[in-house]
Amino acid sequence: MLAFDLLSNGLIYGCFYALMAVGLAMIFGVLKIVNFAHGEFFMIGAYTYVLTSLKLGVSPWVALPCAAFAGALLGWLVERLLMRPLYQGYASWGFMKDEYAVVVTFGLSLLLINLVDKIVGPYSFRGPPLIDVGRFAFGPIMLTGQKAVAAIVSILLMVALALFIKRSVWGKQIQAVAQNRLGASLAGIDATRTTSLIFVISGMLAALSGALLAPLVNPSPDIGAFPAVKSYVIVVLGGMGSIWGAMIAALILGVSEAFFSVYLSYDYRDAFGLIILVLVLLFRPQGLFGEKGRQV
Amino acid sequence: MMSGLRYLMGMLGYALVMSPALAVDPILIGVSLTQSPPGSVVQGAQVKDGMEIVKDLVNARGGVLGRPIKLLYEDNQGIPEKGRAATEKLITSDKVVALAGGHQSSVCLAEIEVAHRYKVPYVNTNCWSDDVRKRGYPEVFNTSPYNTLVSSTMATTLIAMKVKRVVAFAENTDYGIGQAKLTGELLKAQAPQIEYKYETLDRTSKDFTAAVLPLRANPPDVIVLSMLPPAAYLAMNQIYEQGVAPSPKTILYDGSGLADYPDFWQNVKEGGKYMLSFALYHPQMKQTKLATDIAAEYKKRTGGDVNRLVLQAADSLQLVIQGIETAKSTDSDKLIKAMQTMKFESIRGISDFSSKPGFGYQQWLEIPFVNYEMTAEKQPVGQTLMIQGPGQKFDPAKIVRPAK
Repeated sequence: MLAFDLLSNGLIYGCFYALMAVGLAMIFGVLKIVNFAHGEFFMIGAYTYVLTSLKLGVSPWVALPCAAFAGALLGWLVERLLMRPLYQGYASWGFMKDEYAVVVTFGLSLLLINLVDKIVGPYSFRGPPLIDVGRFAFGPIMLTGQKAVAAIVSILLMVALALFIKRSVWGKQIQAVAQNRLGASLAGIDATRTTSLIFVISGMLAALSGALLAPLVNPSPDIGAFPAVKSYVIVVLGGMGSIWGAMIAALILGVSEAFFSVYLSYDYRDAFGLIILVLVLLFRPQGLFGEKGRQV
Repeated sequence: MMSGLRYLMGMLGYALVMSPALAVDPILIGVSLTQSPPGSVVQGAQVKDGMEIVKDLVNARGGVLGRPIKLLYEDNQGIPEKGRAATEKLITSDKVVALAGGHQSSVCLAEIEVAHRYKVPYVNTNCWSDDVRKRGYPEVFNTSPYNTLVSSTMATTLIAMKVKRVVAFAENTDYGIGQAKLTGELLKAQAPQIEYKYETLDRTSKDFTAAVLPLRANPPDVIVLSMLPPAAYLAMNQIYEQGVAPSPKTILYDGSGLADYPDFWQNVKEGGKYMLSFALYHPQMKQTKLATDIAAEYKKRTGGDVNRLVLQAADSLQLVIQGIETAKSTDSDKLIKAMQTMKFESIRGISDFSSKPGFGYQQWLEIPFVNYEMTAEKQPVGQTLMIQGPGQKFDPAKIVRPAK
């Protein structure tokens, strides 16, 4: 029974992790840079959701798209103002000064944390649940309404993203730019606009995951560290830049963390992900899904 | 033209010499606290609030030895290395006469080494770990609660409740592990029939469900929380979510005064109901005139009710100020001697500091405490159910449990 509890809980958290990490994987897949402010996209989404619903008194179902919009806007602004100057004018990705991207996104992360700390304050807020259902038993599993809804919405968003990438014209453009930016440009795809779109989607998904988890993790200004660390592990484990790899890696991480903490140590539950990160980088740097999976 | 310039410079010089604000150097007191993550920013904000109120009250009556008090703040982020660096800077560069405000044990343990090296007085505001006292540094004075007091009270409470099985969740800090370990040792010595174990949880984690799930099949009588916010809030919510506590069998027992925090009900909701809490402040406790004044001023400034941390911070600064007044000097040696020997008229009723080596070294031992229970959601501390008033015996018959 305990094993089943751990498995189901691990899978639920795996869905949350997937939503957090997939945006980071997309940016890495296309731009080959690590966005160190990814956790703060999550934080902005969580705060937008909480403050819009608690302070403005709007329904959480309205606050949710507000959070998505805030994340998308932030993603667009980051790409337009901070990232584009780094690669504009270079047709080949090899010329991009990606070390600047590390510095810029790391600086942005610190800026956003401190801005929220000063403007909103250091106290944590528990977001209102999307449905007013407390704890309930779903077979042998204990859940809350919010946890169940957040897991369902996360799965739906993942499916929608998969269809978008696979079926839509924009999705195909993203795949093309990820595989060969120069080739895509020669084929008439606007690589700059596609990059902008990726940041918008990445920001939106991270913000949505922040909003969905706000009633479960009580956001405070430093909340972004938790999704960021999980996302880095997932991106490396899944094969850097692979969306599908990231989704599967997120589920693996969620389940293995649950079992690791019960059967080995609660104290090092979060360190377990970092151990995986080191082991994968040492022994299988291409990730579990290899080179083939390394594409958006 | 030249005579006009000379006149102007003469006037400026006169103004500089005669201006009381500029003519009197302030007494500098260093405060190293957490103002940004990952440490407890909530605690840091309350420590600062308490100190600012006392500083303003003292400066309004003319300061100390005719000099105003100036507090120099450094943000240690709750990280020991940063606390050590902040203390070094405050002592060597800013030349503070004393330090106060430490509120996280791991940071205090790093900072007192620096204060001891430079022989500068250090008042521990809220570092509970006994190790801060056990080092026996004469520079370190403790107006803070201490783990031995909390653990022994909790052990006595658990014995009085006639529990059979207790599980403690402790955060992975000097405070959390220290408190959980000590409670276990005391229970083993006084009531070996009680089955006790503690689990260490990472304070930065967001999901403690895996630690809670094994309790569903075999729930203990009491879950002790030796954790601080925000991790403590998440643990409480997840314990509630899994249906482990509160229940007719299992209740939560908080060992850190969680309900005192201004964001408590904002974060826990149903999970906080029926929680038993060890607490160092309750409006029903006897208050000094100064404490009442500080509570009123705190309400005026923040709109919130005063709590133990604000008063502890106020007491820390009050101790330094009275020490300077008694010593009639800001010299470190004289100040330490004065603080060791003077009769301290404190905000919470501290009279003296023990000189007994060990956990009681330069510690105010007789700290009043209570045990109360939150019997309704969003219940203010003043309306909680008092299970053990100050100086009284714990009465387990008063504990209210959920019907199902």
